[in-house]
Amino acid sequence: MNREPYLLPNGRVLRYSFRERLIHWMAGISYLYLLLSGLAFWTPWLFWIGVVLVGATVARELHPWFGILFMIAVALMYNMWARQMRKTPSDKAWWDAIGHYIRNEDDQVPSADRFNPGQKLLFWGFFVFGILLLISGLVLWFPQYIPWNVHVVRQISLFIHGVSFLFTVALFIIHVYMGTAMERGAFGSVIRGDVSRAWADHHHHSWYEQLLRNSTTQK
Amino acid sequence: MSQAATEIVRISGHAGTVPGAGLNREFAVCKLVDTTTCIGCKACEVACLEWNGYTFTQTTFDNSYQTMPETAWNYWNLIKFNEHEREDGSLMLLMRKDQCMHCADPGCLAACPADAAIVQYANGIVDFQEANCIGCGYCMSGCPFNIPKFSPKARKVFKCTLCNDRVSQGLEPACIKACPTGCLHFGTKSEMKELAETRAAQLRDHSGHRDAGVYDPEGVGGTHVIYVLHDAKHPELYGGLPSNPRVPILVQLWKKPLRWIGNFGIIFGAVGVFIHYLRFGPKIVKADEPKTEGEGQ
Amino acid sequence: MTNGWIDIKNTDMMLIMGGNPAENHPCGFKWAMEAKRNRNAKLISVDPRFTRTSSTADLFCQIRAGTDIAFLGGLIRYAIENNRIAKDYLVNYTNAAFIVKEGFKLPEDGLYSGFDAAAGKYDTSTWNYEQGGDVSGKANSAGSASSAPAGLPPNVAYDLTLQHPRCVFQLLKQQYSRYTPEMVERITGIPKDQYLKAIDMFTSVRKDGDMKKVATIIYAVGWTQHTFGTQIIRTAAMIQLLLGNVGRAGGGVNALRGHSNIQGATDMAGLYDSLPGYLKAPTPADADLAAYLKRVTPTASKPTMWDSFNYYSNTPKFVVSLLKAMYGPAATKENGFAFDYLPKVDRDYSWTHIWDDMYNGTVKGMMAFGMNGVMIGPDTNKNINALKKADWLVVGEIYPDETSEFWRAPGITTDEQKNIKTTVYRLPCAGFAEKDGSMTNSARWVTWKYAAVPPPGNARLDQDIIAQIFLRVRDLYKREGGKFPDPILNLTWNYADAAHPPLSQLAMELNGKALAELKDDKTGQVIKAGQQLPGFAWLKDDGTTMCGNWIYSGCWTEAGAQIQRRGTEDPSGLGVYPNWAWSWPANRRVLYNRASCDPDGKPWDPQRKQVWWNEASQSWAGNDVPDFKPDSNPKDHMGPFIMNPEGVGRLFAPIGVLADGPFPEHYEPIESPTKNLFHPDQSSNPLVKKFKTPYDKFGDPAEYTIVCTTYRLTEHYHYWTKNNPMNVQLIPEPFVEIPVELAQDKGIKGTDKVKVISARGEYIAKAFVTRRLKPLMIDGKKVYPIGLPIHQGFRGIAEDEGRDARTPANLLTPAVTDPNAHTPESKGFLVKLEKA
Repeated sequence: MNREPYLLPNGRVLRYSFRERLIHWMAGISYLYLLLSGLAFWTPWLFWIGVVLVGATVARELHPWFGILFMIAVALMYNMWARQMRKTPSDKAWWDAIGHYIRNEDDQVPSADRFNPGQKLLFWGFFVFGILLLISGLVLWFPQYIPWNVHVVRQISLFIHGVSFLFTVALFIIHVYMGTAMERGAFGSVIRGDVSRAWADHHHHSWYEQLLRNSTTQK
Repeated sequence: MSQAATEIVRISGHAGTVPGAGLNREFAVCKLVDTTTCIGCKACEVACLEWNGYTFTQTTFDNSYQTMPETAWNYWNLIKFNEHEREDGSLMLLMRKDQCMHCADPGCLAACPADAAIVQYANGIVDFQEANCIGCGYCMSGCPFNIPKFSPKARKVFKCTLCNDRVSQGLEPACIKACPTGCLHFGTKSEMKELAETRAAQLRDHSGHRDAGVYDPEGVGGTHVIYVLHDAKHPELYGGLPSNPRVPILVQLWKKPLRWIGNFGIIFGAVGVFIHYLRFGPKIVKADEPKTEGEGQ
Repeated sequence: MTNGWIDIKNTDMMLIMGGNPAENHPCGFKWAMEAKRNRNAKLISVDPRFTRTSSTADLFCQIRAGTDIAFLGGLIRYAIENNRIAKDYLVNYTNAAFIVKEGFKLPEDGLYSGFDAAAGKYDTSTWNYEQGGDVSGKANSAGSASSAPAGLPPNVAYDLTLQHPRCVFQLLKQQYSRYTPEMVERITGIPKDQYLKAIDMFTSVRKDGDMKKVATIIYAVGWTQHTFGTQIIRTAAMIQLLLGNVGRAGGGVNALRGHSNIQGATDMAGLYDSLPGYLKAPTPADADLAAYLKRVTPTASKPTMWDSFNYYSNTPKFVVSLLKAMYGPAATKENGFAFDYLPKVDRDYSWTHIWDDMYNGTVKGMMAFGMNGVMIGPDTNKNINALKKADWLVVGEIYPDETSEFWRAPGITTDEQKNIKTTVYRLPCAGFAEKDGSMTNSARWVTWKYAAVPPPGNARLDQDIIAQIFLRVRDLYKREGGKFPDPILNLTWNYADAAHPPLSQLAMELNGKALAELKDDKTGQVIKAGQQLPGFAWLKDDGTTMCGNWIYSGCWTEAGAQIQRRGTEDPSGLGVYPNWAWSWPANRRVLYNRASCDPDGKPWDPQRKQVWWNEASQSWAGNDVPDFKPDSNPKDHMGPFIMNPEGVGRLFAPIGVLADGPFPEHYEPIESPTKNLFHPDQSSNPLVKKFKTPYDKFGDPAEYTIVCTTYRLTEHYHYWTKNNPMNVQLIPEPFVEIPVELAQDKGIKGTDKVKVISARGEYIAKAFVTRRLKPLMIDGKKVYPIGLPIHQGFRGIAEDEGRDARTPANLLTPAVTDPNAHTPESKGFLVKLEKA
């Protein structure tokens, strides 16, 4: 399971491997483009974004390609993390304490694993809505190939694409907020990959405990 | 639009009201297609191609006189043929000129996300401005008549313009000029509607077509291309003319309610997280507190 | 047409049969739509298939190809039986009251009296009127058979009560008494109820003696392309006389010509058996001009108290003026105006004979200008094999056509090509938009046309090519002499530029000019020598006038080119447009328009006044030029049909007017699925001859069970638009229309490749499975009809790319023709059908 040493010589903990970080940013950057170009098509008030992104026609051409890139990243992330994102018995207690979590009363929140249930929600949310975005997106990419006698598929795709986008953007707002302002140390974990032991102990206590038990410190 | 130039609003030294003041001038144009006198000659198909500068392409025989299965990005109007057998065993060869209907409430315009890619003029013409088209094809989802068609080469969508370039110069559309039997008429919407209703009444009274009527569907607010049909109760017989076309409900939902909810939600979310930060601040990890203002490096 | 295109808008009732104007004359068809829109006119479509014309019809009857006479004969019977006839018109304007000689026999057994089986033709002397004046009440008149002249008798016996058993009306009634609705159903396949509905609707214009309404009959090559085509049209003409529709606005017998200038071609004697203006061609029996003129100039034949203009009595004037136009000073009174220079037509030289003669070696070479003989057929294989035997072929065209490519038609191997010795010359010619000149439409309107662009590259104008040929042949004769070169050496050729004759000069020649000073004693008008003539009334038989075509006299007068006029006024609203172009004869738009008035000279329908007798000025006046002697008082009872010696319309066509009968009789096509139900022993037209080459084969109905017809589509024009991307886009491939039921029988689906086979050839195309043709019940037996368009061949855009089987439609058709007009039977022959 842990192929790399998680307890680093400098007393910090390796939270995310290089591979994990790379794939995360592949997903993140492509999602960012998708979001911006998508917003241009979503509402006339933000159409100017398309113009800024080297032209709306170019944005329309690139949007689906970035969508493919994004879904490859999502597939890779699934491959990497699906098992760790499974529902565990401890999740329920964590959700019950969500009020404390929001109010930053972290000592009232039960211990979390490597990924807390909030992160699990993010993962599965992007996975499920990502698939919906992919399927509806393929229809929207080549609407002329949908025969007229099933043309309602085009309309359904338009609607589902919008709905799915809204769900992912909600998750995205919270994810970015938490990953930057909200949770100090989190951003570094997806850039350099490491966090302090205290951070690991505070936010993902069960995982940290597991690490200590399995640890092989590296010189 | 050039009519506005002749409308007088003030007159010097003139006693009384300005003649014609407050008149409601009708700008709305309309093409009337009388399917009962159409002979399927395809002069309109060729005229449209030639006026708009498209070349002739290779087609395939498909058990019909119909030139191709649907309109195309470079073939904006098409006679659709249907051999219809009536209950009494007699046959009708129904021929309907298919092209953009120039709806008063266009589904294409509703669905289009690109600024000024689709415009609707006061005279009712709905025109694609290809310079602003981003080629997303949403208009194809919005149209209930299967009209906008994507060009793989230009990567944009095209359709009949009701010869806006001719109409704006006071000429009739090319198809109308070419029609040999005069089955196509052009004029103001009210003139054409009246002509159509008169013809439909004539068909009912003198030609034994009890269900003859005018096709001007309300579901899209009426159209600037209207049909006289032998059988207005069954428009689908005429090459799949939809009997109750509307801007698709999902497109309507996507365009207004979903967008409102979504935009509100996004703003609410963004503001919400800002307020959360103000109220609750960041999560503090105790052991890191003294030295960690940012993160471990 | 007796009437015209725009005139169709005046009609109340249209029978469109043997024609498909919506598809083949879409611009002209607008007038039929105008009649529907503005007058609630009814349209009856009778056709072997439900066409785009039928889609606008109030009533449609699907008829077996070739059974039109049965349909129309039954209509005559119905009209007479239900008294839906124009009684006064009938008695006064037709030969209904004339008595026919004793010895005349109707064709109950399929033959009229006088058939000579050995010669294969009729001695028509019994098809004649009797002499003697008023024989009403005399059941069997003393018929002075002994003193009967060889021609028409000058004082015809008549019975105005129409009761005499040998009056034309009674014979007509008897002739069509066999054509009951039951019989018509058995022959044509039209269910009796449907048939009765159609003929009831058509004849309803004369219901209760109403004379105001008018019906028109509109036809095209669906009627002419049969071995009895002329007789089909005759039946229609008789119906229109019976119903009093000829001469009326919105009425008449209206042929839709199939080319923008084919009317002009026939007007100028494009046919071997006529001279320009439909004058009869001389035969070897015409020893000299006098003998010829005696033969071809009719003398009046009528009841004595009636008057007959007999306008063809002026034939000598037309002929002499023509001869003066052709031979100028060389044509003198002394030498019979060079009558000897004219070729004497000794036999049938019509289209199918040309190819037969070529096959048999008597025709050595051919010049084909805009005429694709290989595609036209009939019996394309025969024509190709005839060309193989010819020494030379010259094709004047705008693109390489099948005729100029006959030597590499599909099926001819490269080895065989080496053995074809025919020298083929291809001359690039000018297209229609590249030449000026005139076009004469179906309505007889002669319109001058201007060239839009000059001919490209080395392409030349037709008249320049002909001029070169003429000038060089004349030169050769001058230098080398030869057998009787006089007609060539003395032919007038006075054009401003001999090598490039301006067509305007030709038009002026056709109009005619005075060769000496002429004076009209009645009006005092003088025409100087050299001036253009105002019209054919000025033509003389003494050599003082010249005129290239008497019916075109008036088209280019001293007042200018009448055919260039573009006046859009139509004061009467009848669509006459008297100042737009010029129609022959004398700018009359509706022929026989005197018949639009009752015997007192008052219009039958005051709403549509064409001409009328003006008592004050003692002359005929009108919104149209009266087709009549202008000062003939109605009291004098001059007949409206001024071109007939009788002065009246012919229900009975006497003597040899038509070779195969004075009344039309239903004959089966040469290849027919059934014996003739009226006379099985004489199924087909007894005058039809079959050629004897190996290619002139005919199918056994037991093997070839399907009735096939050929036709044209809107999207193409004959054989040249397959070279034009626009047309090829609209209809890209050949197909064959087959009924749904037949397709099911043979397991054929739409677009499957199928083969249509006749005794003469095979046509391969995609199947077009359609409801527009249904199986017919012919005398209780199910017969399938199929049809195919003629437009694709073995050279064209799709053909050159190998996208179709390259089989011309006329591979299938037989080389048998109508004995009067010599048109081939391209519609109604037998085939079988297989999957390919």
